[in-house]
Amino acid sequence: MNAMPHTTRGSAYNFGFLDEYAKKEIRRAVLKAIAIPGYQVPYASREMPMGRGFGTGGLQLTLALIGPGEVVKVIDQGADDSVNAVNLRQFIEMTCPGIATTTKTAESTLIQSRHRIPEQPLTATQILVLQVPYPDPLVVVEPSEDKRKVMHGEADYSRLLVKLYEDIVQFDEITISHRYPTRINGHYVIDPSPIPRWDVPRLNDAAALTLFGAGREKKIYAVPPHTRAEPLAFSDVPFRVEDFRDAAGRRRACARCGCTDSFLDEFVGDAGSKTYQCSDSDWCDEQLLQAEHAQGEPA
Amino acid sequence: MKRECIWQADAQQCVFRELVEAFSRPGAVRDLTDWLAGTAAQRAVLATLMDGETTLADPHARLGAADWSLLQARRDTTESARYVVADGRRAPGFQPALGTLESPEMGATLLIEVAAVGSGPLALELAGPGIDGLGIDGRGELHLDGLHPDWLARRADWTAGFPLGVDILLTDAARIVALPRTTRVTITGNPLT
Repeated sequence: MNAMPHTTRGSAYNFGFLDEYAKKEIRRAVLKAIAIPGYQVPYASREMPMGRGFGTGGLQLTLALIGPGEVVKVIDQGADDSVNAVNLRQFIEMTCPGIATTTKTAESTLIQSRHRIPEQPLTATQILVLQVPYPDPLVVVEPSEDKRKVMHGEADYSRLLVKLYEDIVQFDEITISHRYPTRINGHYVIDPSPIPRWDVPRLNDAAALTLFGAGREKKIYAVPPHTRAEPLAFSDVPFRVEDFRDAAGRRRACARCGCTDSFLDEFVGDAGSKTYQCSDSDWCDEQLLQAEHAQGEPA
Repeated sequence: MKRECIWQADAQQCVFRELVEAFSRPGAVRDLTDWLAGTAAQRAVLATLMDGETTLADPHARLGAADWSLLQARRDTTESARYVVADGRRAPGFQPALGTLESPEMGATLLIEVAAVGSGPLALELAGPGIDGLGIDGRGELHLDGLHPDWLARRADWTAGFPLGVDILLTDAARIVALPRTTRVTITGNPLT
């Protein structure tokens, strides 16, 4: 017996819900994923007490990484208080006695996120785990996984580039809004999970390790820190992020905190009017707090 | 029965996080002293990663019978094992698995014990993903003692055809450092040659 179950008094579940053998298997896959940046390492995704598609891949990564003393932040589309984030956070709190949770990006050591990378740049002491619904960017051009694996190995992404070119021919620009195919360390192209284009440049030369977990598709991949992450583009059609300028060319500001350099969500009112607000709720709170401090200080 | 620290889930989680850091930042020396309780770092790494689902080769006969039964790993040849445990002072007289184009993760992880990690006469310059420096093309430094010169020459052959290759974890008594297949190694100082 080399993997002793690890229960605390009063709990029938192992620390982190997964048994130690499941954790070991995930851990071996994680180390290979880091060693081969962008390659999708297959693993035996375990049944979790929630439906596949609700972040089970990210959750299994979190539970294999987590230890006592961890400070965990869980976000869904930038918010700490949406349903998916609340449920996952409660599950982690229930199955990992002794860990702490937070909503503050700066305080966390482990961040599980759905569809956003926090606005605040992460540091070398943090790990970001992203939940992935569709790990393979080649699935739109090649239905056979065997063939896709060969294409990935040979770094043959010509058909994917043709797909992007067809977009330019039809619409004068690449129409991918999220899950933008991104080349890691000059070889593998990954699906960076449904993060907006805004977040893609943050993967490049990041200080923190980013891990991707696809539970239903049974894949784990990684972008190590200080690694090249280049969104696919053409020399005459460069990659660009979302444009938040209004008709007059002014950058829209968050209606709540006034921030003009964050990713904004659009809300449509009953009368058809549109308002914009930071997608990252912790970032928005921090901006408000700073503004209050600035106002409260004597001139 | 009192079980050694390295077989406990808590210690294995901590050792795993050190391995994550080591492989994420090649050349960064990590210290495992807190979880070893006197045993060698290489044994702690094995205890963390092995179970009955994986294969291990031991060409230099480093493991005792008791450890084999605790590790539960299936014994395999050096040519096909997923993990190979080796003595860095001896020349690598084997050809490890490099994986395939479709499944490069089948390339072996080599756990090599040397005299010292982070200090010693052998000076290496490292480049590649995970190495911080000025801009993205940073350079790192690593000093080692007690690594047979053949290892680096053979590693250069084994890792020449990315994505195929081997990932190396060097250990001494308590410290670890990783050289994943993406790391480019140049020898900058070696008094023996």
